[in-house]
Amino acid sequence: MAATDPLPLYRPLESAVRFDEVTVERGGISILDRVSATAPKGSCTAIIGPNGAGKTTLLLALLGEIGYRGRIVFGSGSPAPRIGYVPQRLAFDRGMPLTVSEFLVMGFQKKPLWFGLNTVLRRQAEESLAMVKADHLAGRAIGALSGGELQRVLLALALRQEPELLVLDEPSAGVDFQGELIFCELLDELRRKRGFTQLMVSHDLATVTHHATHVICLNRKVAAEGPPRQTLTAEHLTAIFGMHMGLVSSRSMPGDRAVCSAPCCQEHTDA
Amino acid sequence: MPDLSPLYGLLAQLLPFDCLQARFMQQALAGLLLLAPMTAAMGILVVNFRMSFFADAISHSAFAGVALGLLLALDPDWTMPAFGLLVGLGIMLMQRTSSLSSDTVIGVFFSAMVAFGLAIVSRDRSLARDLQRFLYGDILTISDGQILALMGLFAVLMTFQACCYNQLLYIGLNPTLARAHRVRVAVLQYLFAGLLALIVMFAVQAVGVLLVTALLIVPAAAARNFARSAGAMFWWTVGISVSSAVAGLLLSAQDWARTATGATIILVACGWFALSMAAAFRRRERLI
Repeated sequence: MAATDPLPLYRPLESAVRFDEVTVERGGISILDRVSATAPKGSCTAIIGPNGAGKTTLLLALLGEIGYRGRIVFGSGSPAPRIGYVPQRLAFDRGMPLTVSEFLVMGFQKKPLWFGLNTVLRRQAEESLAMVKADHLAGRAIGALSGGELQRVLLALALRQEPELLVLDEPSAGVDFQGELIFCELLDELRRKRGFTQLMVSHDLATVTHHATHVICLNRKVAAEGPPRQTLTAEHLTAIFGMHMGLVSSRSMPGDRAVCSAPCCQEHTDA
Repeated sequence: MPDLSPLYGLLAQLLPFDCLQARFMQQALAGLLLLAPMTAAMGILVVNFRMSFFADAISHSAFAGVALGLLLALDPDWTMPAFGLLVGLGIMLMQRTSSLSSDTVIGVFFSAMVAFGLAIVSRDRSLARDLQRFLYGDILTISDGQILALMGLFAVLMTFQACCYNQLLYIGLNPTLARAHRVRVAVLQYLFAGLLALIVMFAVQAVGVLLVTALLIVPAAAARNFARSAGAMFWWTVGISVSSAVAGLLLSAQDWARTATGATIILVACGWFALSMAAAFRRRERLI
């Protein structure tokens, strides 16, 4: 099917994740229909699409949470990479007494938490918090964090995994505009420093136009795939969202980025 | 069987109460001192996993387990834990594989177990008297054999807790996140369900089917209000559980009380819970 697809396709040399004809059905309803797409190694790949397009389902299939037909291949056929996962909205019990430090240490410490935190691990946790500019949160209860604060802590946890693949589901949901901007810039910087592949789901086109280097347009099927300036065009967006989004001009920018009309983007070009 | 008399002597010396001079009281105290930390440690995770209904279903399968033992002329002391274990793992398997919500799955198991137990008991009137023991529980009739079994379980369970507490907490927080970050969720969930089933079956003999969930939940719930970290919550829960068990046993033996031991223990624990609510309320007021 891919060969006959008239839409521009981008075939990178080295992939971090390759979805090969991934199909998911629930109760006879098709959620993903033969999705074939690639996240290039070291890229910031964004999966965009309207609500109900199957974006989160694709991530869950990647994480092995749900069954699917087809194949998901990591790297050049190597075993599953270390994944760092930042969920969209962490469904958890907010009444649970658990400090942010404990939360960041508990996956790494052998000694049970009731014998206290290991000094080295605690310091590492604090360092990872500092990395996401949330060092002031270490002693707070995890249930008392705001949406944006929780997101940073979750990112710190994901980074603690030393991920080769960082998977983010709606990284900007529940974060105010300013917070979102900081969040995405933070990720850009970390990705360049550490060289991991970032795969994120988003329905926020402003975020995608700013930060993605590779875009997968998804609406149960792959509508388009490639660098943002080739994929975030009026016709593709109209095709998947069903209306013109009016955010993106097709004028290309250096670094494979598209331009958007949001004020922050103008700041970006000035700088 | 090893002689446990030195242990009982030691307990009587450590807590020099008049009522603790009787051997059955010393046995009950030993049993409770083993049981309370175990229910406390498991209770924390039951509360975090929201599995209190699960524990309830297991405890109600005690009837069926005992009835099955009596029916097949096997020792109920063994058929009951074995049956509970089977039911626990069965529920976990169903929960993990079916698309039904977990309370529906447990509800179905729950009713099946109770109905099965009642059906067998209704065939034979004399069984009904035997079952009363399990409905209300009686720690005062605990035998040396049971205490030894509890010691074995204590060693296994505390080792499991020490090794896996952090990961279990992780799963309790969010299983998808835990799995993505390479925690072995399935294995741990089955191990936890199995051990929880065993501990519930032992606890049934102490406080009875009706109150066993309370023994798991109430200390952990109270500790939640006192503690501010997961580490502290563990110690609070163990402290509340053990103190309630000892105080409940001693109170129930007083001449002026003469209440059922299991019920008294739970009442003391509920007293702790009321205190914890007051503490939480005061803390909140101070914050506002």
